[in-house]
Amino acid sequence: MAQLEIVNVSKSFGKTDVLRNVNLDISSGEFVVFVGPSGCGKSTLLRMISGLEEIGSGHMRLDGKAMNSVDPARRGVAMVFQSYALYPHMTAFENMAFSLKIAKQSKGVIREKVEKAANILRLEHLLERRPGELSGGQKQRVAIGRAIVREPKVFLFDEPLSNLDTELRVQMRAELIQLHAKLKTTMIYVTHDQVEAMTLADKMVVMNGGVIQQCGRPLDLYDDPDNEFVAGFVGSPRMNFMKAEVISTSKDSIVIGGVGGEGRFEIPFTGFDPAIRKIKLGIRTEHVGFVNGQPEQVSLPAKVAFVEELGDVSHIHTDLASGERLVIRSTGQRYAGSGDCTAVLDTKGLMIFDEAGQRIRPTR
Amino acid sequence: MIAKKHMPHYMMVLPFMLLFAVFFLYPIASGFFYSFHDWNATTTTRFVGLDNYTRIIGSRDFKKAMWNLATYIVITVPLGILVAFCLALLVDSFKGTWSNIFRSAFFMPVVLPAFLAATVWRWIYTPNFGLLNMVLGWFGLPSLNFLNDTGSMLYALIAVDVWVSAGFNMVIILAGLKNIPTDVYEAARLDGASPLQQVRYVTVPMLYPVLFFVTTYGVISALQVFDVPWLLTGSSFASYGGRSNALMFPVMDMMGRGFGSLKFGQASAYGFILTAIIVLFTAAMFVFRKKGYDQ
Amino acid sequence: MTIEAAAEVPATRSIALTISPWAVLKWVVAICVAIVAVFPIWWMINVVFSEPGTPVSLNPRLYPTSLGAGFDKIMMIMRETDYLKAYYVSIAYSLLTIVGVLLIGSMAAFEFALFNFPGKRLMFAVVMLSLMVPTAVTIIPTYLLTADLGWLNTMQGLVVPGLASAFGLFMLIQFMKTLPREMLEAARLDGASHFQLYRYIALPLSKNALVTLAILTFMKTWGNFIWPLIVAPNPELYTVGQVVGLFNSPYSHQTVDVVMTANLLAALPPLVFFLIFQRKIVEGIAMSGSKG
Repeated sequence: MAQLEIVNVSKSFGKTDVLRNVNLDISSGEFVVFVGPSGCGKSTLLRMISGLEEIGSGHMRLDGKAMNSVDPARRGVAMVFQSYALYPHMTAFENMAFSLKIAKQSKGVIREKVEKAANILRLEHLLERRPGELSGGQKQRVAIGRAIVREPKVFLFDEPLSNLDTELRVQMRAELIQLHAKLKTTMIYVTHDQVEAMTLADKMVVMNGGVIQQCGRPLDLYDDPDNEFVAGFVGSPRMNFMKAEVISTSKDSIVIGGVGGEGRFEIPFTGFDPAIRKIKLGIRTEHVGFVNGQPEQVSLPAKVAFVEELGDVSHIHTDLASGERLVIRSTGQRYAGSGDCTAVLDTKGLMIFDEAGQRIRPTR
Repeated sequence: MIAKKHMPHYMMVLPFMLLFAVFFLYPIASGFFYSFHDWNATTTTRFVGLDNYTRIIGSRDFKKAMWNLATYIVITVPLGILVAFCLALLVDSFKGTWSNIFRSAFFMPVVLPAFLAATVWRWIYTPNFGLLNMVLGWFGLPSLNFLNDTGSMLYALIAVDVWVSAGFNMVIILAGLKNIPTDVYEAARLDGASPLQQVRYVTVPMLYPVLFFVTTYGVISALQVFDVPWLLTGSSFASYGGRSNALMFPVMDMMGRGFGSLKFGQASAYGFILTAIIVLFTAAMFVFRKKGYDQ
Repeated sequence: MTIEAAAEVPATRSIALTISPWAVLKWVVAICVAIVAVFPIWWMINVVFSEPGTPVSLNPRLYPTSLGAGFDKIMMIMRETDYLKAYYVSIAYSLLTIVGVLLIGSMAAFEFALFNFPGKRLMFAVVMLSLMVPTAVTIIPTYLLTADLGWLNTMQGLVVPGLASAFGLFMLIQFMKTLPREMLEAARLDGASHFQLYRYIALPLSKNALVTLAILTFMKTWGNFIWPLIVAPNPELYTVGQVVGLFNSPYSHQTVDVVMTANLLAALPPLVFFLIFQRKIVEGIAMSGSKG
């Protein structure tokens, strides 16, 4: 059963639509990540769940109860902010105890709950410090502690790691996964970083332009994206895209031409709609290489523009005759040369999108 | 529904807005009403149209006060700001503790209530045994009656005024100086600008908004000058403005008409004439500033 | 690159040499100005702390000569005049004004700085416009209103009309605007009511601005001359300013040293305040100036 139901929610600020007809079900205990470029509406959606932003139209239900006009403090949600939003004039203990104090809990209960949360987050020795005396990671943990103390039904995280340096971010990511395993509470997490989303999410919700593009398990989104946006957004380096034309279709294959200039080849595809002529090909960098010889592979002439050498892999950026960029991921050998070369596409990795960017899947 | 949702906001601003309406907006409105009436606070009011306004503008005291005011402003504002600017540069050129010590010393007169500054200076100006005349005596110069000689009275006032206001303006200008990034000076130095050229081409233009504020604020407060000349002269409603009204200023004239001769209608009208002058001046300053930016 | 760097070394050294007369001049000017700025206050102290009646030619009052004489004068003023009472009045006047201005101003500033509600822009615009209206235009009608309320010669007559300080409101708004919005949202999620947001978050976080405003308000009230002069003409409610005015009036028959003692006593609280809170005062003025 869905714990949090979002039905047909829309929101606009003045004339700009921030969210359009968002529908989403979140089950109890799920770790859900909203991900998308800035301005895609992910933060607005999170703030609407928290109650800090009013719901424009549509419905939101938590445990079956309508939340539209419930005060933020009574929704049973707790939020961790990007800037931590710790109260600088209170100690870590007072920060975590604030909501309990407002709720007029007894001193003993407050102490017990705060210490329990501090124990989970290994903050015991920092409780008497003020935010100014804490490091970024410690502040982040206090902010999470403040949320834990409230024993919410849903945790909300608004880009909580983006103020930390890379190393700390990786460490905090691991801690969040452990925390989720320990608390088993629903967590909703907003980020613009798709790597963060992939590593954390049970369910990943990719948004763009106020619309949910696709939602599902991270690897499903990676392997089987619904559209060009998701295909391009998920995965690093980005998927390569090339314009192409369908020359002829048969029952279980199509012939495409004009790939990267002059490229023309046949690929297996069941039930292609013969009315469609112009398409876009997508192929991930790991499905492009230099090695020739296998039958399902097709090759294109390319010119190396530059190479990013990362040690374990090299990303070779090449220009096709059409002017399009094709990135090749090479793990086998370190590439040092430049100039002309031949790129080999693994047709198993080819994805086809229509002109509007929607994925065209073979019928089975 | 909307009113209910916003109720907490209105409750919080209510005390301020209530007091503001009662003790600011209402007085302005009633003052405007009185300014067209003849009223001495006891008899019933009588509508007199623009009589109060024409009478004030036609009076000798008003003309004298305006003339004094004009002379006073033309000298005291530029002089005060020039002094403050130089002091700010001076303080800024010191480092650490000494910078703080000099800043505090230069600022000291601001701390003194204006009424005290005036009274202390009155004693300094006293003929024969006053400090200033004592100093003059050391150089064999004759004793002067600074506050009773129509030729020197205005300058005596200006000296006090600059003494009082320089520290205040200095602190504001100093804050402006601190906001100028050092790399701009470094760039100017690499371009070969001398220290004086740096002041002319970097400091002054970058301080433009601050100098604008200081000038505008200076003129607006100078237009309302009251405490100091009041205390340098008779300091009572029976006697003010000094010998042949050499230190008569508009606010003083207004207060005298109100509390001295109980012509509250005229005094109210006087207030609106002053406001008109201040608003006109401020508007002119902003137009001037906009032009300055456009160029 | 290295050649240029090498050439620079002797150049800076020669600058350091040529600059020294400048440095001397700078110090001389700074010290002279400091003397001019501080001397009248210093002189006031010297007049108080020296034997009365000694002619200026024998004692030009450039330094204090008799501590005892000064204290005698202070005791004399305290005993024989109503100075002490004026002190109480002035302190009560200042404290009540400070508390009122801070409380009322911070409540309104909290709303204006952090929330939106219908009518806010209009109210804010009207209050800000009032900053341009000179005191001169309101003082007489405000006086008449205070008289109508029967508040002449009362403490509330002195205090209440000055509580809605547009300047204070403006200053607090400027400060509270910088409070992070997320912090207020966090507190709201923590269950704080609207008033609790003000009480537990906005107020403690604005401590610096409030202290600065309190000091500036003290300076202003303590030095306010014109309002007490007209609204509380009864000797029972004389403020220090008025008493000092009496001592200094050409018709008073006090000697210089007694008058200066009265002046010094009036100057003491603001001077002490300044010595304690220098930084806050200076920053407060700089802040209101650079943002206005």
